[in-house]
Amino acid sequence: MPLLEVSDLRTFFKTREGEVHAVDGVSFSVEEGKTLGIVGESGCGKSVTALSIMGLVQSPGRVVSGTAVFDGRELTTLSEGELEDVRGREIAMIFQDPMTSLNPTLTIGTQLTETLRRHLNMSREEAKKRAVELLEEVHIPDAARRLKDYPHRFSGGMRQRVMIAMALSCNPKLLIADEPTTALDVTVQAGVLDLLEELRLQHNMTMIIITHNMGVVAETADDILVMYAGQVVEQAPAVELFDRPEHPYTEALLGSLPDIERENVRNERLVSIPGRPPDLLVPPDGCRFAVRCKYAGIDDCDKIAPALREIRTGHWVRSTHPASERSAATVEAAR
Amino acid sequence: MSTDPRDTSFEAVHTSTAEVEEETLARSTHRRRSDFEDTLTRTAEGQGREAGGALPRASLWKDAYYRFIKNKASVVAAVAFVALLAFCIFVPIFSNEDPYAVDFSQAYEPPSLEHPFGTDQFGRDVFVRTALGGRVSFAIGFAATFAIMLVGITYGATSGFIGGKLDNALMRFLDALYGLPYLPFAILTLAIFGTVNFWTMVVALTIASWFTTARVMRGQIMTLKQNDYVRAAYAVGASRQRVLWRHLLINTLGIIIVFVFLELPGVILGEAFLSFIGLGINPPKASWGTLAQDGYTEYQVHPWLIVIPSLMIAWLILSAFFIADGLRDALDPRMKEA
Amino acid sequence: MLRFIIRRVLWTIPVILVVIFMTFMLMRMIKGNPFQNTERAVPESIQRNLDRQFHLDQPWYTQYFYYVKGVFTFDLGPSLVQRNQTVNDIISEHFPVSIKLGLGAFIFAVIVGIPLGILAALRQNTAWDYGAMTFANLGFSLPSFLIATLFVYIFALRLKDYTHLPTNGWDGPSTWVLPMIALGIYPMTYFARLVRGTMLETLQQDYIRTAKAKGLRWRVVVSKHVLRNSLIPAVTAAGPLIGYLITGSFIIETIFGIPGIGRYYVISVTARDYSVTMGITILLAILIIVANLFVDILYGFLDPRTRDERT
Repeated sequence: MPLLEVSDLRTFFKTREGEVHAVDGVSFSVEEGKTLGIVGESGCGKSVTALSIMGLVQSPGRVVSGTAVFDGRELTTLSEGELEDVRGREIAMIFQDPMTSLNPTLTIGTQLTETLRRHLNMSREEAKKRAVELLEEVHIPDAARRLKDYPHRFSGGMRQRVMIAMALSCNPKLLIADEPTTALDVTVQAGVLDLLEELRLQHNMTMIIITHNMGVVAETADDILVMYAGQVVEQAPAVELFDRPEHPYTEALLGSLPDIERENVRNERLVSIPGRPPDLLVPPDGCRFAVRCKYAGIDDCDKIAPALREIRTGHWVRSTHPASERSAATVEAAR
Repeated sequence: MSTDPRDTSFEAVHTSTAEVEEETLARSTHRRRSDFEDTLTRTAEGQGREAGGALPRASLWKDAYYRFIKNKASVVAAVAFVALLAFCIFVPIFSNEDPYAVDFSQAYEPPSLEHPFGTDQFGRDVFVRTALGGRVSFAIGFAATFAIMLVGITYGATSGFIGGKLDNALMRFLDALYGLPYLPFAILTLAIFGTVNFWTMVVALTIASWFTTARVMRGQIMTLKQNDYVRAAYAVGASRQRVLWRHLLINTLGIIIVFVFLELPGVILGEAFLSFIGLGINPPKASWGTLAQDGYTEYQVHPWLIVIPSLMIAWLILSAFFIADGLRDALDPRMKEA
Repeated sequence: MLRFIIRRVLWTIPVILVVIFMTFMLMRMIKGNPFQNTERAVPESIQRNLDRQFHLDQPWYTQYFYYVKGVFTFDLGPSLVQRNQTVNDIISEHFPVSIKLGLGAFIFAVIVGIPLGILAALRQNTAWDYGAMTFANLGFSLPSFLIATLFVYIFALRLKDYTHLPTNGWDGPSTWVLPMIALGIYPMTYFARLVRGTMLETLQQDYIRTAKAKGLRWRVVVSKHVLRNSLIPAVTAAGPLIGYLITGSFIIETIFGIPGIGRYYVISVTARDYSVTMGITILLAILIIVANLFVDILYGFLDPRTRDERT
């Protein structure tokens, strides 16, 4: 039984011009103790997916249809009060920008202890003690004194560690990390990722990590989900995805990674995927990636919206011309 | 204006700054464009547009205009404002009533078909008098607002642009001025002049109202100064004058317009307050404030004489406020509540 | 923090001096000597005595010096028109009245305005929101003299037999109610709109999303995280409102027949009672300056970010 199972999730945002299909039929599952990495470019719907699971989508957005079953419970039908009980206690989430994600007018201590007292019914003293322990767990020096400090007294990396401490404070079963390292310096990123892994093993936690950085998922994820234009376009175990990518988009993503070890790399241009994602206000009827796809258009494949299918065990792809099924003619025509 | 690189005369270098700026911009755009031509072609065709066609020029003003139009409240307010203005301008032209004719037999008539707003204590038609009063109020309002903008912008922009010690001194002085109570100083100013006419009223209202504008302008200029495009302009040799006018002040135009619609009602209300305490424009010229004051004496029996000019003022305040709100939203690219 | 306070306080002194100077200069420019303007001509010898007493025979900077000295020793001189009263007498008789009025109006504005703004923000785009904002918009666009007049009209004439709220004079709590509300309507709408705005903005912030993600109960999120951060800007709004309460009182006192300092001010200007006019102007200015100082310091306490800045 997977810990989290999402089926056909759809989240739309009402705007003056119509409804934006931010998440348009997303399905995946996460096994207990594993890490799922969700990758995709900005606007593909990965953050909104996470928020939808947590019930944190704010008006004018709402979950239109689909299910998210966590530990046997259907999250989309829970009342707000029941969801409040689940959040922080069983599913925790950390966000991208630790600078703005912490309340600037409350001390770190307050922000840590309030979660503990809310979910675990601790007394003020117990909560304070536990808060110090948590800060030490995330390697914040001088923890006891730091409790009284305000967020602006911490550096970016330390703030993210505090966020992690807050998220882990009640020992949740699932941690969703939305772009946890994007706002941090490269040197600090590694530290945070290591910390996440260390804590995950320690608490035997399941993790979903959302990022647009392929390097990050390569390091941390067991399975990877590739999203594009509000849909899942490929899902596979990490090693498999990097070794044998199927979807043209995934191939392009991997191809755009600069490889220092290649010869002549200095004189080469950085490869990027030309074009832009489709307007999710009126999603195209056919294949959403066609406009930017190298292999599109030969056989009118851009007019069909491919379904997500299992091309190998555990490897799903949404494409009419996945790598292992491409005919020589298609490859030739794409040059 | 020679662009021959061998011509290093002072003239040549500086007069071609503008051209260099434009040219550099054009060249870089052209280079990027040719690289992506095929992709753009396919994308464009995919979107049903002609490849290589000019991308629709997104001008800030056009953009703002469309955003403003979409805001229903602002459009209604704008229409209301214009309607009020039209009322004041056109009614006296088309009316047959003599607004100055005294006819005691018709005094204090309630609103009727002949006199839509009734008559006042001298038998004069209030409808026309309200429109005339509006002309005076609007005139004072616009004049004072203009003066406030002039003084405030000059003070604030100078302070912000030059910065340093001058800025410090000017701002400290401004802080001191903030302590001046608005109404008493307006009253004192009027007392100094001795009489209350159009110009003295304008000066009195301006004197204590320009501080906020100055402060905001200074803040804006200081923030804009930090932008990279300012540094870039200096780097290609633009003069300080040019930077100030072409780059900085142009970008504050939006704020200025918003401020005009914020200051206008305040000034008109100020004039009304002053009139109400007896320091209004001398008769027979009337403004909404003096009309309200006249009406106050008999409000118990004939309440409409004070209600009508007050409602006009309220109408103006409300419409100007919503216009300012709409303008602010239209010019500010940040998205707010849907 | 202490250094911040001291610096702020010290700055008010030159500010006050500038204000006194400007008032002084302005007063001198008003044409007309009060003694010459009276119908009753003043005999030469008495005129000379008065000149000596008020230093009117000295150059202006000497006069200024004496005046400043007077201000700091709380001696604002005698009234030039009410011969047997000093400015201090007049002020101490009328000023407390205006203070009470202003305070009452302010409290009314806070008690009604802030909850209104909170309600509108939490129920954004619903009937509650629209209703509250319509009410607020009416309140700030209708000129206060109209509102005050309407109050008098309604309560003195129409509802006279149902409610016993007097609309004239100033003795006893029942006379305070209507004028305070009339004066307080505009600040009330200001607070309502301001609080609604700041709350809506705070609700969009990332840290509120974090608080929700932590599973805190919604009412805790609102009271602990949202309100605290939304109300701080409302505090700074109090500063300029003091200015309004003062100027607004001129009108309200006139209409409700309240013997306050505002009404007296206009009288003194038209009567060319220089010392009284100066005294009141400077008093009001000092009041505004001190109020702004207080608000600045309060803000420094409330927002921990400014506490750490070396301003």
